[in-house]
Formats: sequence, structure tokens, C-alpha cells
Amino acid sequence: MNGTPRAVNRVVLAIAGLVLLALGAALAALAVVPAAGRLWQDWAGPQMGRLSGLAARTRLAPGGGSWIWLVVAACLLVLVIFMVSWVANQGKGRTNVLFQRQGTAADDGAAGKVVLSTAVAEQSLKAALLERGDLLGVSVTSYAFRGQPAVRVRVLPRQGVAPHEVAADIASLVDALDALLGVQVPVLVSLGSGTRARFTKAERVR
Amino acid sequence: MSELIGRILKRERHSSRAPLSVAAAMVIGLLAVYGLLEAVLRAVGQRPWLIDPLTAARRLARLPEGISPVLLGAIGVLLALLGLVCLGHAFLPGRRARHTIADPRLAIVVDDEVIASALARRARLAAGVTREQVIVVVSTKAVQVNVRPTSGIPLDESHIRAAVEDELEQMALEPAPDVTVNLSGSGVIGV
Repeated sequence: MNGTPRAVNRVVLAIAGLVLLALGAALAALAVVPAAGRLWQDWAGPQMGRLSGLAARTRLAPGGGSWIWLVVAACLLVLVIFMVSWVANQGKGRTNVLFQRQGTAADDGAAGKVVLSTAVAEQSLKAALLERGDLLGVSVTSYAFRGQPAVRVRVLPRQGVAPHEVAADIASLVDALDALLGVQVPVLVSLGSGTRARFTKAERVR
Repeated sequence: MSELIGRILKRERHSSRAPLSVAAAMVIGLLAVYGLLEAVLRAVGQRPWLIDPLTAARRLARLPEGISPVLLGAIGVLLALLGLVCLGHAFLPGRRARHTIADPRLAIVVDDEVIASALARRARLAAGVTREQVIVVVSTKAVQVNVRPTSGIPLDESHIRAAVEDELEQMALEPAPDVTVNLSGSGVIGV
């Protein structure tokens, strides 16, 4: 439920995959089929001549380079910036405001604003869950999901722990939190298993 | 709220494709930075670092010459395979091995591994065998319970199945899987 741009990921991966596939197939064809090699040389030779002619005609100064290299560099720079922003967007979307409300004259006439930090929900849920012996790991994080804060509870139960019982206990904790805060935020409970759960001993006594 | 929870669950059940995206972005970015370096060196009239872009283009234009066909073919096949991997990531649904539990307030997702270990525990208690004798495989629509009995002690398959089905019913998973119990023909000794 983080803000990873999933559609962008798929579209860019599809484009990259198509380009790589076409390139790979073309190289393999060049290596295997002699006619393809001749066809490529016949087409690429004149293109090459035109390119070097253009580079020679567009020299900035005698002995210097051509400005088409600056154009190429600018295009590559745009590509680099896009790639960096693409990576930076993976897994973003954390928020630290759980709830906020502006005081209005219609309400109680008080000026100001009430802001609840997500740490309220995170720390109370985490503290309650860490007491349990059947959970090996607990992490609580908050994300802005479609502009609305949502809490994600990731717990790693010991081997053999019934997931619905853990989920029911977390549900009662969340109900208590709702009653305490007076607001309901969406909560995701994710029960998983990590290497630690795999290698520590199973729960035998409850 | 329930619409939002439905969306969260849909997102959690599918892979985000972030790892391959980050790897692809790194590779493309590094290649672009290298190209940028060579293009700028060429533009300011300095000597190229590894290869001059025009020379590189000229070599590309003459291609099947200047490189052994085996190497060229291998590079081509490798690139095509990488392309297929990227395309697969782009177009396959990418469902993760997870089930959801319906709840009016929470969005609950459970990794199949957690379900399997809970079912294995229940099956082990019902059969009265040790941990090592039970293997449970959970997939989207099927649960397979493999039990190796202790040699000389017969096991009741319907009893184990009833126990596992009862546990599954309590979990109320979506989608609900079917249970198959396989008792191994040969038992183990020394447990």
C-alpha cells in the first residue's frame, strides 16, 4: 500500500523488454543469417556516412566537437533524471500525520489545529503486540494511501501460530485504538514469515 | 472505508515489480551516464575515455564483421532472454503467495507459509506424529497435507482431513482452498 508507481513500473519494464528482445533478436539474426548481415550493412553504411557528414558540418569551432553531441548529451541527461526519479519513487508514500482538524468558529470558536501524529497509532499497536510471545517480529508503519493515512501492521508469527487468532487479537486492539482516538483509519494487517520465524523453534505451549 | 480496504487488499495480493524496476533503472542510468560522458568529451573536443561515439557507431554499422559470430549470437540470445524476463514481469499478473481473511474493519493478508505452518501443526496434533513427518503445501486453491506415519501405528486419513478442514474453516480464507491428505505408504522408524 505504499506509493510505488506500479503502472509506471510495468509500462517501463514492457518498453525495456521489447527493446531488449528486438535488439537481441536482431543481433542473433546478424550472427546466424548472412543475408541479414548484408541487408544491415547496406542500410547502415550510408546512414553512417550521413551521420559523420552532419557531425563534420556542425562543428562549433575548427578542431572542436559538433553540437549534435550536446544534443545527445542533453537527451541522455533527461534519461538519467527520469531513471533517478523512477528509483526514488519506489516504496515512497510514508506519512506522519494520522489525523488533523482545523478549529472553526462553528465548532467551539477556538482557533488552531489538532494534529495527531502517526506515532500514536504506531507505538501503541507495536507496544501491545511486542508483549506477545507468539510473535517474533512486529513493525508498524503509516502510508498515505490515495491521500488518506493508513496504518500497516506487519507481524511475523512463530511457526504453527494460527493466523486468524492473531488477526482477531489485532482487530480488538484496533477497535480499542478507534475508541481511544475517535477516528477510524484503514489498517492493513500482514502476517508473514521471515528467516527468523523459519529458524526459531515452533510454539509448543500456549 | 470498505472500498479503500478492497483496494489495499488488491495491491497487497500482487507484486509491485519494484526490485526489477530498480535494477533496470540502475543499468539504464549507468549506461546513460557513460554515454553522457563520451558525448560531452566529444563535444568539447577531448580524447574519448573508452571509445569515441562515432567510432562505436561505425563499428555497429559494419556488424557481423569484426566480432566472432558465436559471441555475437550469444550476446543476442542473452539480450533477448533479458527482454523476455522484463516482458514477463510487465505482463504476468504477479500474484503473490498470499490469502486474505475477510474482516469488516481490517484488511488482512496472510502469507501462505504462515497458513501452511498453522495447518501442519494442527495435522501433526491430529495424527500424533512429530513435526518432521508432516509437510503441508499451500497454493491458491489447494492445500496438500503429506503425512508419513510412524511405522506400525496406523493413521486415520479422514480424521486428519477433518482437523485440517476445521482449522481452514476457522481461518475463513479467501479464496478458500480444498484439502487433500496424502498418507505415505512407508512409515518412519526411530522417532
